[in-house]
Amino acid sequence: MKRFIVMFVALMFVVGLCGTLFAQDRLETIKKRGALIAGVKDSTPGFGFVDEKTREIVGYDVDFVRAIANKLGVKLVLKPVTSASRMPQLIEGNIDIIAATMTKTAERAKQIDFSITYFFTGQKFITKKGTVKTLAELDGKRIGTAKGSTSEQNAAKALPKATILSFDDYPQAFLALQQGKVFAVTTDESILANILGKAPNKEQFEIPDIQISDEPYGLGIKKGEKTLVDFVNKTLLDMEKSGEAKKIFDKWFGPNSSTQLQRGNFKITADK
Amino acid sequence: MLKYQFDWSVVTSGKYFEWLLSGLYTTIQLSVVSVILSFILGLIIAIMRMSNFKPVQWFAHGYLEFFRNTPLLVQIFFWYFGSYKILPTAINDWLNRTNFEFGAAVIALTIYTSAFIAEDIRSGVRSIPKEQLEAARSSGFSYIRSMQYIILPQAVRITIPPLINQFLNLMKNSSLAMTIGVAELTYQARQVESYTFKGFEAFTAATLVYVVLSIVITLMVTYYDKRVLSLMKAR
Repeated sequence: MKRFIVMFVALMFVVGLCGTLFAQDRLETIKKRGALIAGVKDSTPGFGFVDEKTREIVGYDVDFVRAIANKLGVKLVLKPVTSASRMPQLIEGNIDIIAATMTKTAERAKQIDFSITYFFTGQKFITKKGTVKTLAELDGKRIGTAKGSTSEQNAAKALPKATILSFDDYPQAFLALQQGKVFAVTTDESILANILGKAPNKEQFEIPDIQISDEPYGLGIKKGEKTLVDFVNKTLLDMEKSGEAKKIFDKWFGPNSSTQLQRGNFKITADK
Repeated sequence: MLKYQFDWSVVTSGKYFEWLLSGLYTTIQLSVVSVILSFILGLIIAIMRMSNFKPVQWFAHGYLEFFRNTPLLVQIFFWYFGSYKILPTAINDWLNRTNFEFGAAVIALTIYTSAFIAEDIRSGVRSIPKEQLEAARSSGFSYIRSMQYIILPQAVRITIPPLINQFLNLMKNSSLAMTIGVAELTYQARQVESYTFKGFEAFTAATLVYVVLSIVITLMVTYYDKRVLSLMKAR
């Protein structure tokens, strides 16, 4: 036991030492390394998914980090992450930046820093056509969503009398809707629009104009890396000004895409 | 060094404690209902498996092999989502108005566990000397009656410890019901995690509850072994 403690302390000492040795500005580290390591989703259509032909990860999120890497003059390295793994990966330093459909929340902001909002969506519902017009009509009904998401909590708050059924993922929740097991499925509109785009009997469903929350997506950066955050924010603003941000939006969510969304009044601006 | 702040208060009191408690209640409900049903079904299948009438025997054999050798998770999805395609609309509508998540979980757990229980009962029956069955039959008992009065009462007593083990497995397997939205203990622990970010505390609490439940069930086996079985042997 004593030996174990000694070894443990020694290990912690070494880890601590490494920490101080490598504790330099992240932006400098990226430039020196010649590569920006970005954590992206690899199975979220529209944002980060594997292209069937090229076998490479592509999407809205990927295009944004690519633009940042280009601006830095380094190459881009993509690392697939999940909703659960993205923050630990960033905090441990395995990735430099998160671009993985991450909503900016106060809880998350305690652990990591966020860039300015680069994508804006809201939580909506998908229902059988013509069944729902107002939020009140949904209360007391059975509502499907996915486990561990902010969607689940928002729905419980907005519809206190409804029964929230959490499935493992959205395709299952949508299957339950098709079979009449739930009355509606709720999550970010961007995800709903994609599910609807792929559904074989899409004409039977619709996304009514009922929004229960704002979901601003931000790029995640390790806490305290101010130079990197500033650089990313400046790049995002430049992309908006040059029209590149809108071009990327249209490429993935425009009228010719399979996931059609409205960009509306959204613009990348300096105020969070 | 360790930056994680432990906060056990989230799972020992207040709203989240109530969630875990309601999860525990659902887990116990699910396990007890399923174990009773699967014992009855298992008994029927075991008798069918030992019957001399070939088609019945084949059916039971097929049932056992099929349900013992497919993953429980697949079976749960089959009963919950798959049954929709084969049932008439009226029944589907009725099921959707009821709490079908719980029902589908009970059906899947019952059928899955009954296959194991049937095999346990069968091995219990085989441990009874076959002369007893022959003696019963030559005394004028029918096959069913000699099973009912002579063989099964003894066999079930021997089978109780493995049966309680099946109960233990069933209780743990019931956590898979969370995949179709049954709010049992694991589901609630995950819920607490996503609301509080205190996953370590939530799952530790859930683990402890499962361990306590398992220990209680194991103690039942030990007690039974000591008292009942030794009495039987002494006789």
